[in-house]
Amino acid sequence: MEDRLTKEEVLHVANLARIEIDDKEIEMYQVKLKKLLDQIELVTKIDDNDSDYLIAPWNNNSEFRKDEVGNMLNPKEVLQNAPRKSGNYIEVPVVISNE
Amino acid sequence: MNKYLDLSLQEINNLLINKKITPKDLVIESFERIEANKDLNGFITLNKEAALKRAEDLKDQEVTSLTFGIPIAIKDNIITKNLRTTAGSKMLDNFIPIYDADVIERINEAGMIIIGKANMDEFAMGSSTQTSYYGPTKNPWDKTLVPGGSSGGSAAVVSSRITPIALGSDTGGSIRQPSSFCGIVGLKPTYGRVSRYGLIAFASSLDQIGPMTRNVYENALVLNTICGKSKNDLTSVETNEDFTRLIGKDIKNMKIAIPKFYVNDTIDIEIRQELDNIITLLKENNCVVDYVDIKYIDKAVPLYQIIAMGEASSNLARFDGIRYGYSYENPKDINDLYLKTRKNGFGNEVKRRIMIGSYLLSGKNATTYYNKALAIRDDMRNSFLDIFKNYDLIIGPTATTKAYPLGQDLDDAVKAFMDDILTIPVNMAGLPGMNLPIGFSKDHLPIGMQIIGAPFAEAKIYQLASYIEKELNLDLNPNLGGDDNE
Amino acid sequence: MSNYIPTIGIEVHVELKTNTKIFSSSENGYGQMANSLTNVIDLGYPGTLPTLNEQVIKTAIKAAHVLNCKIRKKQHFDRKNYFYPDNPKNYQITQARSPIGYDGYVEIEIGNNKKKIEIEEIHIEEDTCKSAHRGNVSLLDFNRAGVPLIEIVSRACIESSEEAKLYLEKLRELLYYSNISDCKIEEGSMRCDANVSIRKNIEDKLGTKCEIKNIGSISNVGLAIEKEIERQSKLLDKGETFKEQTRRFDDKQNDTVLMRVKETGNDYRYFPEPDIPYIELSDEIINSSIAELPMLPDERRKIYKERGVSDINITKLIANRSLSDYLNLFLDTKLNFKEASNLLLGDISAYLNKTEKDISNTHLTKEKFIDLVKKVEDNTLTSKNLKDILDDILESDKTIAEIIKEKGISNITDSNMLQDIVLKVILENPDSVKDYKAGKDRAIKYLMGQIMKETKGSANPKLVNQILINELNK
Repeated sequence: MEDRLTKEEVLHVANLARIEIDDKEIEMYQVKLKKLLDQIELVTKIDDNDSDYLIAPWNNNSEFRKDEVGNMLNPKEVLQNAPRKSGNYIEVPVVISNE
Repeated sequence: MNKYLDLSLQEINNLLINKKITPKDLVIESFERIEANKDLNGFITLNKEAALKRAEDLKDQEVTSLTFGIPIAIKDNIITKNLRTTAGSKMLDNFIPIYDADVIERINEAGMIIIGKANMDEFAMGSSTQTSYYGPTKNPWDKTLVPGGSSGGSAAVVSSRITPIALGSDTGGSIRQPSSFCGIVGLKPTYGRVSRYGLIAFASSLDQIGPMTRNVYENALVLNTICGKSKNDLTSVETNEDFTRLIGKDIKNMKIAIPKFYVNDTIDIEIRQELDNIITLLKENNCVVDYVDIKYIDKAVPLYQIIAMGEASSNLARFDGIRYGYSYENPKDINDLYLKTRKNGFGNEVKRRIMIGSYLLSGKNATTYYNKALAIRDDMRNSFLDIFKNYDLIIGPTATTKAYPLGQDLDDAVKAFMDDILTIPVNMAGLPGMNLPIGFSKDHLPIGMQIIGAPFAEAKIYQLASYIEKELNLDLNPNLGGDDNE
Repeated sequence: MSNYIPTIGIEVHVELKTNTKIFSSSENGYGQMANSLTNVIDLGYPGTLPTLNEQVIKTAIKAAHVLNCKIRKKQHFDRKNYFYPDNPKNYQITQARSPIGYDGYVEIEIGNNKKKIEIEEIHIEEDTCKSAHRGNVSLLDFNRAGVPLIEIVSRACIESSEEAKLYLEKLRELLYYSNISDCKIEEGSMRCDANVSIRKNIEDKLGTKCEIKNIGSISNVGLAIEKEIERQSKLLDKGETFKEQTRRFDDKQNDTVLMRVKETGNDYRYFPEPDIPYIELSDEIINSSIAELPMLPDERRKIYKERGVSDINITKLIANRSLSDYLNLFLDTKLNFKEASNLLLGDISAYLNKTEKDISNTHLTKEKFIDLVKKVEDNTLTSKNLKDILDDILESDKTIAEIIKEKGISNITDSNMLQDIVLKVILENPDSVKDYKAGKDRAIKYLMGQIMKETKGSANPKLVNQILINELNK
């Protein structure tokens, strides 16, 4: 068994997380993520008796919100913390698609 | 310097009612103590001007409760309108929220005065408050030591009597462990007891906000204020009870369980000895104390890594430099904006956990690990619930060690989670759990025990805790505040 | 080009008609000032949590019911994780594992045959925000962020562009009639994606599929599918293979164009949404939601047919829901639906179009309409009369009798007076009388016309006809 992930695997994860990492970090994660996987491997070996999930320790089912309009922000408040804006809009650099 | 903030809330309340002091005196004293202990670094952002103004506004109002006019510190992952909220991260260094968390509305209604935003591990990811972008907080008992974490700022501030009350949050032990390191009472309530609306999410199925105080009674008072159902949080639950109601009541015949895993020899010997003293005390009071097994409790850390990191990787995806917070300045395109914003905005520990979480949810891992973890989590919770069919409470140590030196273990991932090995199971099962100071090590550092209850059994936790507190009658004031100035 | 067998699956996103968004109390609205219909939840602010809109659940129950789906009683939501500027939290809350509806179908008529288009599932999810491209930046408007959607996923059982179009038309009709959505493709409240693959023989396994995203109209769905079949056929003819792709339909080029080649499986890292506890649907909420459903089009068609409405009028009525709804107010009366539908689709529609009004905004009460249909039926009102007073009927509170009186509308039913006019016309047109006697029926129409002209259209035609034939036969 390999003792590390491939560089490609680490880059795939970094891309999923949208975190830029350098060569040193790639190397670190190659080892670290594999080590972690080995540590948690034991979890898959556990034979639990039933198949119920615990998504969260909820104490109730969802209640529903009445379909009534509540307070809203004005565009100025929407833009208050935005680093880039234009008119009433929040601005972002254009999405590069491979069209 | 005055010493009103060393008094109990009842004593302060008397002074306020009799107009001997005003809320402003308390606020001024808080800021004097902060000033006198600057090196403690308990706060990220101070709220001096607004706090003084609020104290002024409260001056002529009727003193309605024991918490009226009392200074409070708020962990900096709890959203405060118009008061900078950073979660200890560069990512939110410039973030001024436009709404209040539910708990903030409640403590405001109760007349408390926010002194500042307490330091914490970045996005609550850490157990020593050393991952904060704003530098580590120091332990008031020994400033070369960590205060624990992630609510280390809140714990240090209450321990050093800067504010009598702080709010913390607890995902895997973040209230209880620093409370044990700093010698205060900290409670993680039942999942759903306190609204999470306005708590910057780390792991949504584990997070809870809770009170951190100098003693048991005051802790129950704060829980009275912040608990209850909110229309903003579907997982919150309506409760209508007074958490102080069992305080002082006899504990005779109480049935106490100790998980065998909680007395294993990885735990500091001094801590085990202190716990033994408590067990003796309880037995002397005709309590039943039994050792029990809880399924998968020893597997809680790997389960936690899967679940908490998975949820965190998703919860922290929203920090992308578009709508708020730090944003990389000259991105080539949108992807560059994402990559660089998150590279520069997050610290190493946060990035590491996001990477782990993303990895464990990616591709086939989600079915191999995540689903499996949820299934085992269900069994673990059921095993806890089975214990509570026969026992009133579970006890054990809070942490495996007492406070350790600053700078240690920062990069040891496994060791970092070992700090939380005794607290994580409680979050996994959604139970209430408290740290109660029960003694000191030879080098006079606080040692704490953990009291764990069935869902919504906080009142019973307070009952046992108040009994032990009274019996031990410890001096938990590190006596820092202002002494140097006199 | 060889013949291949196409296999088509269709995914439809439909925005639900609710007052508020799915997870927040912001208004669900269209065409308002940018970023004026939002709150901190829609913006994905730190610390915010979703709350679930009851109406979304009820509406989705209705959708599952009208699309003949089974309804799942216990559900939860899931997070679909991906970074995109229109996705505020960078995860979308959806139902990946426990869709509210499953195993349904929609029946279409293709030629003279009926076919069930099978529906695999209906799930609930939130819409993204809207982005508009301006040079090297995109502008984000969060008004749409969190608008409730249902996604309806068909099985890959559609075999032609024609079936695809019929399916979508039927789907739109059903959802529109059920008040689930206004289904305006041009406003984006209904969005269609088609998955197309082809194979040589029915025994072969399915070919490589390509997805055509967000097609702007139902007819373009048909075109896009045809073009895509053509494109894939040519490639296979040449012996080429191709990768899974995402394409879009370009109106101007009248063809599908490549958007991106699909990566080896999108890695959305789905996991259950911890912020929303289980949704348990009680029988009560299921039944009360279904009870709110209005009568569906097929049922209407059946009843109209039974009550003598012509096929063409039935089609027109179904296409105009507000008139159909109006007509349905009279289901428990003896109203002549044939005459009523003529009136509604004729003069009344003309009036409504002219004034841009809905029938509910006129003064045409139930009683008045019954009276109107009766008066037209028994020729108390001629079509000329009707044209003269229709505006008044629709715009005033007066009864039709009052209006007739006030307007001095004469519908000459005085047979003596008519007899004089008839005789006058007969005398003036001896040729036509001759033609009539020679058995030319055309003549009678001409004479009728002359009499109506003489009476300025106000004569009761039935009566005139009677008197005329009487006189001619003397």
